[in-house]
Amino acid sequence: MEKFFDPKSVVVIGASNSSLNLGATICNMLKDYLHYTWPVYVVNSKAETVNGCPGFSSVLDLPETPDLAIIIVAARHVPGIVKDCAKKGIKRIVIESAGFAEGGQVGEAMQREIDEVIKTNGIRIMGPNCLGTLSTRNKFCSFYGVNPSLVEMNQIFEAPGNISYTIQSGGVAVLVMESLYYDLVGINKVVSIGNKCDVDEADFIDYFQKDETQVIGMYLENVADGRKLMEAAKRSRKPILMFKVGRTREGAMAAISHTAGMANNDLIFDSACKQAGIIRLKSINELHSLPKMFTEMPLLKGNRVAMFTNSGAFGSIAADLLVEADLRMVPLSGQTQDKLKKAGQVFNVKNPVDIGPAPPQTYLDIFEILLSADEVDGLLPLLSVWQTFVIDTLHELLKMCKHYDKPAAIYTPNAVAKSIAIRAKHRIPIFETPEEAVRALSVSHMFHESLLKRGFVYDQVECEIMDDNRTITGKMEAAL
Amino acid sequence: MTTGNVLKKEKEMSKILFNAVQNGQQALSEYESKRIVAGANVPITREAMVHSRQEAVDQAVKIGFPVVLKGSSPTLTHKTEMGMVRVNLKNEQDVARAYDELMDKGIHLDGILIQEMVKGNREFVIGLTRDPQFGPCVMFGIGGIFTEALKDVSFRVAPLADDDAREMIHEIRAVKLLDAFRGENAVDEDVLVKALVGIGELGMTHDEIAEIDINPLIVTEGKPVAVDALVILETHRA
Repeated sequence: MEKFFDPKSVVVIGASNSSLNLGATICNMLKDYLHYTWPVYVVNSKAETVNGCPGFSSVLDLPETPDLAIIIVAARHVPGIVKDCAKKGIKRIVIESAGFAEGGQVGEAMQREIDEVIKTNGIRIMGPNCLGTLSTRNKFCSFYGVNPSLVEMNQIFEAPGNISYTIQSGGVAVLVMESLYYDLVGINKVVSIGNKCDVDEADFIDYFQKDETQVIGMYLENVADGRKLMEAAKRSRKPILMFKVGRTREGAMAAISHTAGMANNDLIFDSACKQAGIIRLKSINELHSLPKMFTEMPLLKGNRVAMFTNSGAFGSIAADLLVEADLRMVPLSGQTQDKLKKAGQVFNVKNPVDIGPAPPQTYLDIFEILLSADEVDGLLPLLSVWQTFVIDTLHELLKMCKHYDKPAAIYTPNAVAKSIAIRAKHRIPIFETPEEAVRALSVSHMFHESLLKRGFVYDQVECEIMDDNRTITGKMEAAL
Repeated sequence: MTTGNVLKKEKEMSKILFNAVQNGQQALSEYESKRIVAGANVPITREAMVHSRQEAVDQAVKIGFPVVLKGSSPTLTHKTEMGMVRVNLKNEQDVARAYDELMDKGIHLDGILIQEMVKGNREFVIGLTRDPQFGPCVMFGIGGIFTEALKDVSFRVAPLADDDAREMIHEIRAVKLLDAFRGENAVDEDVLVKALVGIGELGMTHDEIAEIDINPLIVTEGKPVAVDALVILETHRA
């Protein structure tokens, strides 16, 4: 797998100097934007050099065996090229061309031809009909056609993060990458898996267990092998956030029984996610809005939430949302209420704690009182104030959350735009709506529950997950 | 249950399924279906297959009145619509008359099924289906005649752990129907859990079963009992 993300030599088959050539955009990306220093070769009919990458008319003529071949030619040429790659001893191939399983009988026949070659030669393939891989730490990207003026590639690669995405659509991959502009999303790796004739989403769940990944985001249009996916997810110590489209009824076609008649694919997919501990996303935006709750905050280990606001309205709005999300507005203990009374400026010492105009220190005191209270598992601060000191105050809150090992889902009504403008730069996980903040608490809790159910213990500080015996098992080798 | 009994039960189930597949049946009769689901820990009605009026009367006395009579055949999947069900038969005369009526319908039957009449206000459904991506899946939900209209069901991919079964039971909207209800006891959830796990196991071990409907599963004094069951065989798709 590693060679898909960190190849030390690459050949782009189908890159040429013709106008609008897609293969050439891959060469340009590697050379001009990523300053990829390892050899990049190209193969085209004229054996012409592309952007300084030496050209050959066949893979067989290359001076070395590249770690990775990227194929981007018309589908009908692909089986022959895969055979050449096999002859040359290439073990990793990304097929970006389309027109296979989705292209009718001829496509399927070509697909079978490819399957035969890779099986007998121990080759692993990504695609067809995909973009391949992006790895921020390795400064590698096999995506074609990415317009660097649309997506600031530098920004993605300059600040590698711990979120890895498996995405079955180029367009959605770009949406996630573009969210870097306004959201707190640090990317580790992105894979676009296409038709997944060989390597599939379950393989990547296993692979992401042993690298820097902290959160796995997925966008799927279909499932290659439902049971394989469930098994991989059950083994995963890292949260899997999944958005799935495609509500087919193929299973119900031949149904006679009521059971089969009512079993739509989506309902069963939902159940499979619950059983395997996969968090199913409700909107495509959650692919970038929720991971920060996992990368920046401890997990919500119980369902008791304390709310802290200076706006009664938002207290009521969020209270309804909490209950709908199966979380609890915790009744604060007498001891906690006494402490709050002494903190000053507090209108209401019961949950939701309501505060009048107060200096930053009062906010910090209240954060501390609530986070240190035994009856509180997590915090929902709804603060409609915005001054420059707020950033510092929130940084202090982040430290306290780590110290007490309890999360806060921050929302700033009346200052949403200002918060969005600074959150990535200052690495403060701020949510855009009360719905989003409550949802973040909810998925954090769901993931913790699923870890417990599967016998894992999560230790965010170590970025390692341990089993019940508290022995580190994070080094588990994945199947690949 | 002893290992010997389990093996015997499994042998009986395999035999029923094997014969049905050999005969080219698309489905099992209710009687055969119930043998199969009973083997998977689903409680079923006390019942017997009879082939004469006298036998029907004798069995009715043995089971205890009131009883239900149903025409039995693997091709008869909509018994009620075909007028092949007689309920609430309170004495020997009722049974004898009902037996004659069913036999006179002129429909080919392999016998008459006589069973205890189970009374209860709450009806659930348990089912098995095969998903193209996830394989055998178990369903639980609100049963009876409104099953498809209400669509209050939950699914789990087989095999099920006890926790999975418990979760899916609590996932239906009308979960309150499991509690004590209008003077009736709360539903014995352990029985449901065992049944759901058992049906999942059945799906894992018997590829020849395509789908199962156990509907209704009537709750009487807190105990769920399968009143009707239908096992669809994989052969119908071949």
